[in-house]
Amino acid sequence: MIRLENVYKSFGSLEVLKNINLTIEKGEVVCIIGPSGSGKSTLLRSLNHLERITSGKLYIDNELVDERANDRDIHKFSPKRVSEICSELGMVFQRFNLFPHMTVLENVMLAPRKVRNLTKKEAEEAALELVAKVGLTDKKDEYPSRLSGGQQQRVAIARALAMEPKIMLFDEPTSALDPELVIEVLDVMKALASEGMTMLVVTHEMGFAREVADRVVFMDKGEIVEIDSPENIFNNPSQNRTREFLSRIL
Amino acid sequence: MDDRMVRVIGILIDSFIPLLKAGVMFTVPLTIISFILGLIVAFTVAIIRVTNFKPLNGIVKFYVWIVRGTPLLVQLFIIFYGLPSIGIILSALVSAIIGFTLSVGAYGSEIIRAAILSVPKGQWEAAHALGLSKSQTLLYIILPQAIKVAIPPIANSFISLVKDTSLAAAVTFSDLFQVAQQITARTYEPLWLYMEAAFIYLIFCSVLTMIQSKLEVRFMKSGYSHD
Repeated sequence: MIRLENVYKSFGSLEVLKNINLTIEKGEVVCIIGPSGSGKSTLLRSLNHLERITSGKLYIDNELVDERANDRDIHKFSPKRVSEICSELGMVFQRFNLFPHMTVLENVMLAPRKVRNLTKKEAEEAALELVAKVGLTDKKDEYPSRLSGGQQQRVAIARALAMEPKIMLFDEPTSALDPELVIEVLDVMKALASEGMTMLVVTHEMGFAREVADRVVFMDKGEIVEIDSPENIFNNPSQNRTREFLSRIL
Repeated sequence: MDDRMVRVIGILIDSFIPLLKAGVMFTVPLTIISFILGLIVAFTVAIIRVTNFKPLNGIVKFYVWIVRGTPLLVQLFIIFYGLPSIGIILSALVSAIIGFTLSVGAYGSEIIRAAILSVPKGQWEAAHALGLSKSQTLLYIILPQAIKVAIPPIANSFISLVKDTSLAAAVTFSDLFQVAQQITARTYEPLWLYMEAAFIYLIFCSVLTMIQSKLEVRFMKSGYSHD
């Protein structure tokens, strides 16, 4: 479903991704863990061109979605194509990034209406269903500033799902939440995973990774140190760097 | 009451209606027309600046630099007294409208640009991730939020403009201030006449400030607030 080949990314002289190779199968839930600054978010954000890789190839569903070398495009992608690529990927941000001037329902309806040209009625029906799915029907006409962080993040998930993406990307979705609100967001994510959604999750929630992930990727200093099942990563990591990281945080 | 006072009061009463009339007939329309045209320029320039639309970006930067770096009075003199020497002859009204429009355009563009840049980067990212185009993002996400930020400073520049239009008197435009100058030339009562003119500007600005704060309250009430 997702394939990264020989991906490098530098910001100036700082290398944040070094020779990343990763394949994610359809329906798989993959959690990326690692210390901050290890390149986890950059990896996620390069898939929908929020960051442009320095070199390497990215595929989604066996279709090339980015190919670059020396910070230059090998393949030019038109704005329209980039928009199509983005609508195959739903993204959830650490800081929610809801549109503050729109109600919950309007936030969820916007992209289907403007990008997929659904009628207002079609978009509203779909949005109501998604808002119900994340348990916020009673908040559908509220503005984001009136919601708790957990509720805002659930709206953000509904908003991303509204484009019917093939893959959901989560960029530290619970890191900006008060501890008591983390669980409601993780529950929504678990429900998604159990429906068979392909998910790539950058997270510090080791409990979630252990319980929900099919595979866990440990990254450090821009490299993938190891990829394995949650049992092996958490109970019996093969690499010292993984062991050290886990002993620091657990 | 001595004769001088009686005479001054007579002049003030006699001149009040002509001054007010010049204000309503010339100062107010000049202000409103220049402001509306200026906002269109400001908006266009701001969009060119934030989208880094080449090669126009360089041109509009140059324009903002020139207009902000030179006195408005000098600009008006160049337009009205200077341009005829290269064959461009403009009426006082047109010269004034051009001068003030360019001024509002330059200062306003900086206000609007700053307002657009004040919208968090995450808003652009979320819109991009949903597949919205750059122009859709501006239209549906960024501008509605930026306008709210821009309204108070834009309203301030409108009130400044009301007062700045008095400079148009220097290019023979018969606005409120020019009429005050004419009556002064006849009556030799500059202190009282200019005080009266100032008083009428004060009334205009006070009314506008009241409207402004009403508008702001309405805008703040409608819909959302930032957390």
